[in-house]
Amino acid sequence: MAEGKLIKPDLDFVKRVMSSGGESLKKCYQCATCSVVCNVTPDDKPFPRKEMIHAQWGLKEKLFGNPDIWICHQCSDCTAYCPRGAKPGEVLGAIRKVSIEHYSFPSFMGRMVGDPKFLIFLLAVPILLFAAVAPYVGHLIPAQYLEGHTPGYLHEVITSTEPIVYAEKFMPVPFIDTIFICAALFACLGFFIGVVKYWKDLTAFGGKPKGSILNAAGATITDFLAHKNFKKCEVTVDRAKSHLFVFYGFVGLAITTTWAIFYLYGLHRESPYPLYDPMKILGNASAVALLLGILWVISNRSKNAEKAGKGSYYDWLFISVVLTIVVTGILSEVLRLLGISLLAYPVYFIHLVAIFFLFAYAPFSKMAHMVYRTTALVYAKSIGREKEN
Amino acid sequence: MADEKTPTPGSGTILVVGGGISGITTALEAAEVGYEVFIVEKNPYLGGRVAQLNKYFPKLCPPTCGLEINFQRIKNNNLVKWFTMTEVEKISGGPGNYDVTLKQSPRYVNNNCTCCGKCAEACDVEIPNTFNFGMDKRKAAYLPHEMSFPQRYVLDPSIIGTKSAQKCKDACPYNAIDLDDKAKTFNIKAASVVWATGWNPYDASKMTNLSFGKVQNLITNMMMERLAATNGPTNGKIVRPSDGKTVNNIAFVQCAGSRDENHLPFCSYICCLASLKQTTYIREANPESKATIYYIDLRTPGRYEKFYKKVKADGNVSFIKGKVAKIEEDPATKDVIVTVEDTLSGKKIHARHEMVVLATGMEPSTASVKVPGNAQYDDNNFVISADILSTGCVKKPSDVMSSGQTATGTALKAIQMVRR
Repeated sequence: MAEGKLIKPDLDFVKRVMSSGGESLKKCYQCATCSVVCNVTPDDKPFPRKEMIHAQWGLKEKLFGNPDIWICHQCSDCTAYCPRGAKPGEVLGAIRKVSIEHYSFPSFMGRMVGDPKFLIFLLAVPILLFAAVAPYVGHLIPAQYLEGHTPGYLHEVITSTEPIVYAEKFMPVPFIDTIFICAALFACLGFFIGVVKYWKDLTAFGGKPKGSILNAAGATITDFLAHKNFKKCEVTVDRAKSHLFVFYGFVGLAITTTWAIFYLYGLHRESPYPLYDPMKILGNASAVALLLGILWVISNRSKNAEKAGKGSYYDWLFISVVLTIVVTGILSEVLRLLGISLLAYPVYFIHLVAIFFLFAYAPFSKMAHMVYRTTALVYAKSIGREKEN
Repeated sequence: MADEKTPTPGSGTILVVGGGISGITTALEAAEVGYEVFIVEKNPYLGGRVAQLNKYFPKLCPPTCGLEINFQRIKNNNLVKWFTMTEVEKISGGPGNYDVTLKQSPRYVNNNCTCCGKCAEACDVEIPNTFNFGMDKRKAAYLPHEMSFPQRYVLDPSIIGTKSAQKCKDACPYNAIDLDDKAKTFNIKAASVVWATGWNPYDASKMTNLSFGKVQNLITNMMMERLAATNGPTNGKIVRPSDGKTVNNIAFVQCAGSRDENHLPFCSYICCLASLKQTTYIREANPESKATIYYIDLRTPGRYEKFYKKVKADGNVSFIKGKVAKIEEDPATKDVIVTVEDTLSGKKIHARHEMVVLATGMEPSTASVKVPGNAQYDDNNFVISADILSTGCVKKPSDVMSSGQTATGTALKAIQMVRR
């Protein structure tokens, strides 16, 4: 008789997957329809059928170190054709969420971002931080007691009819930059530690990379730029396009931000910049792309909900944050130009809070897919695990 | 010969709707203990789906044999009266005193018919042969199949009023063709009604990923029965629809539509055995042939496990655990390419076969045509009511053997309703 293999199920893991949007997990009866209709899986050891049974059995080590969960782009062709309503696409999304949680540093942050009951605390951090700026810059002291002319008593700033200058009159750059640099460092550290741990698990699970990592990284980025894998989706074919808008919106905004830093610290030019400034044009165009993209994402998700599933809290939290950022960002600019200070300053405040949320919590939110998917795909390419076309 | 007799009015009668193996069994079991029974059948012949089968599992005997015994029992029993080409229009009343409206479509052929076939010879119109699932054509004046009961021709209504119909009438030496035959509506009283209208093969074209109807050499299991039957479209030769080539390499796709929430959520019970049985058709016809069964899990309840073991012992029949979820045609060879994950080896394979059979499941006939009376259904349209009784595959997916058993039980229930 063959030697038995002792399986050590982690029931807590199963529960976490099921409570993270994978509640249909146990419906799977392993028919493998999903692996067949998937257009992005390699033929050898295809997914997501094996992931479904590993998740059902709580074999988390077979999932965390497995790049397949990130090769999956949640096309949801599997979910549409699943004969049992087990929604493999949603389950893999939930496994990815639990995986992000697993690699998060500090680990409690992973748990908090993934759980709606902590949302209020997560929001409180940036709200309190930015609110704390107010006493420091004298927003709570009547203007006549301030020696300089900036920034002024808060209610006077907000009700003032003078031109709106967010940086000068409301939230001075040094404070904003300090907060965001800290947030970014926190996120970078989280990502760094997470990815190092993740890479160790990947190589332990699938062996050392065979080819050059640099080549694999180059090829992965080329794929990303065209959304090559994403375009193989059938049921949710439009997602590739909407995601492309969001993707390039973010790329544009990242370039804009770098450019603005250069203006400020390199050229010592203070904001606001005129609308014809090329940096401003790029920024505005990117914002529009992001807005259209995220609205398209929402519309696709509602359109596909019946076939592809309605998505989890984790998905919708991320979408909401992005939507809030882009809407408040555009509104901040429009209201500033219109001179409606009563609305402009509060909207700008919300904008800052949302951006902090996105940045500081990136390693723990769905934003982390950017880093983990890239890592997984680079690794997958380096070991030759790719669907041949 | 008993045929469309004038129904006897009055209570105490059992009405069986559907003249397949379940309906016939219920009717005979009740009649043979002294109850008056009517059988209503919409086809021009009795026998239902069983009449279309090539062989029964697990004994691999021909169904015509069992049907013939049953037809003898019907002929020999004055208490069984039956109407072909008849459907129920309305059921009113309740247990003990149902009033049922029946509509009989015109056959255009009376009981002078001797099945000489002269009308068919003279007929110049061909129509798709529904008995063979459209795999061949038949004349518009036809005998549904060789073993049809009653042995009497039918004229397709599409030719009525044309010269072709007149030609058929003129060719008949027995004055058996009545072109003025009209639909008749009449009422009968019954103390109990048994719904036994059986099943339809699930429409395979609904599974878009399996490309049924687009891939020429992709057929259903019921089509395979006809293909293997000596009275079928190819006289029993198992050949490819595309080019008539003998099939050496065949595959069976299990759960094609069954156990699938998007189609039939339930297990159709018979498809595993049907495919196992059908491997024997091709293996017997051609010793060189190979068959592959793709399955999620093989369901061979009770003694059927023995049959599975017997088929498994044949080295030329292989079993691959994994559901086929994509079927394509090689345009050059018309071979069928199935994609499946072999879940035991964890490999997604693209296998080539000369012909592929979809093991499509059973959809209760009541999914498309409801009982025109007060009946209850389960979520999948199977009839589960206690007043209007149901039996056979319209009640739950069954094989012939359990259809016979439950039909006998239903006869008892119908009798209880008569005597209450």
